[in-house]
Amino acid sequence: MEATVKIFRFNPETDQKPHFETYTMPVESTDRVLDLLEYIKGNFDGTLSFRRSCAHGICGSDAMRINGRNYLACKALVKDVGLKIKVEPVLGLKVIKDLIVDMDPFFEHFRSVMPYFVNDEPPPAKERLQTIEERERFDDTTKCILCACCTTSCPSFWANQEYLGPAAMVNAHRFIFDSRDRAAAERLRILNDQFGVFRCHTIFNCTIACPREIEITQAIGELKNAISTGALE
Amino acid sequence: MMQTRVVPQRGFNLDYIMFIFTRVSGLSIVLLALVGIILAMVMGARTQMDLGTLMRWTFFPNPNHVVNSDIPDVTLGWANAYWSTMQFLLIFFAFTHAANGLRMIVEDYVNRGVGQLLVRGFFFLLWLFMLITAIFVVLSS
Repeated sequence: MEATVKIFRFNPETDQKPHFETYTMPVESTDRVLDLLEYIKGNFDGTLSFRRSCAHGICGSDAMRINGRNYLACKALVKDVGLKIKVEPVLGLKVIKDLIVDMDPFFEHFRSVMPYFVNDEPPPAKERLQTIEERERFDDTTKCILCACCTTSCPSFWANQEYLGPAAMVNAHRFIFDSRDRAAAERLRILNDQFGVFRCHTIFNCTIACPREIEITQAIGELKNAISTGALE
Repeated sequence: MMQTRVVPQRGFNLDYIMFIFTRVSGLSIVLLALVGIILAMVMGARTQMDLGTLMRWTFFPNPNHVVNSDIPDVTLGWANAYWSTMQFLLIFFAFTHAANGLRMIVEDYVNRGVGQLLVRGFFFLLWLFMLITAIFVVLSS
């Protein structure tokens, strides 16, 4: 069978504005959209630019908008997206070339929530222990691979790039609810900013887009609750 | 067994307060409208009002909204402190809820600086004007 792939193209050195180009190629239903992009780059146009690395849904490099929804191209199969495929860069971030966007604002927000372990207490002889329940508390949010599918599917982020976005909050959640960490108060103060958690309008796009199936809206709800009550339950 | 940890000093800001307020006001508007419509029914709305009048009463229970040419003194019993308070609360919740929505839209879509400050100021004054007008209408009816 044949698929028609319409791809967003933009080269800032030659193009005044972006345009779409369409390619037709033989496909299998189990092909991934990433395979199609590789095919186009190898057979039709070597200048097509996109990020990819592991190609197995772990590195989070190839987030893009496929048929109007954010996916990792390496996890989106032809049988799931159909034979008419439209591929665009993710929204809300500046396009550098074709499907490549500037991820700097995204990582700035990520860094702003202190996404690292903080504990100045002297460590015990062996290790900082944690019960199974305490570890399970933040298990979901440890799965984030920073692909930006969630943040760039969020209308609040499209409207205002100062908004921290779901990915930064997911990573804040991962440490705030870690019983070994001691910087929860500081992170909650950062999240309780004008463009912090309360800009989330529970639209659920992030939860739908997440390729790791993290319950992002629930995590953000737990952060709002923690700010309101002060309890890290 | 997992222990509950408590985090102090989280701080307040406008967005946090308005986040709570929008939830409280949203629920209150529905509740006040329900109370208004139920009490209007109890007070004879079924025979004294048409549907449009009943809806106007529900969302702004002002005696002027009770229209029935067959009964000249129809507003008797509808103009008292209880309904005045109901009117004011509905107006306050609805306009403050709406003004906060406009504030967020302005913050999202108007570039930071003098322009944003002016637009925000305009919506703040509009909100204040609407509340003062509402108080005037409520007290004078």
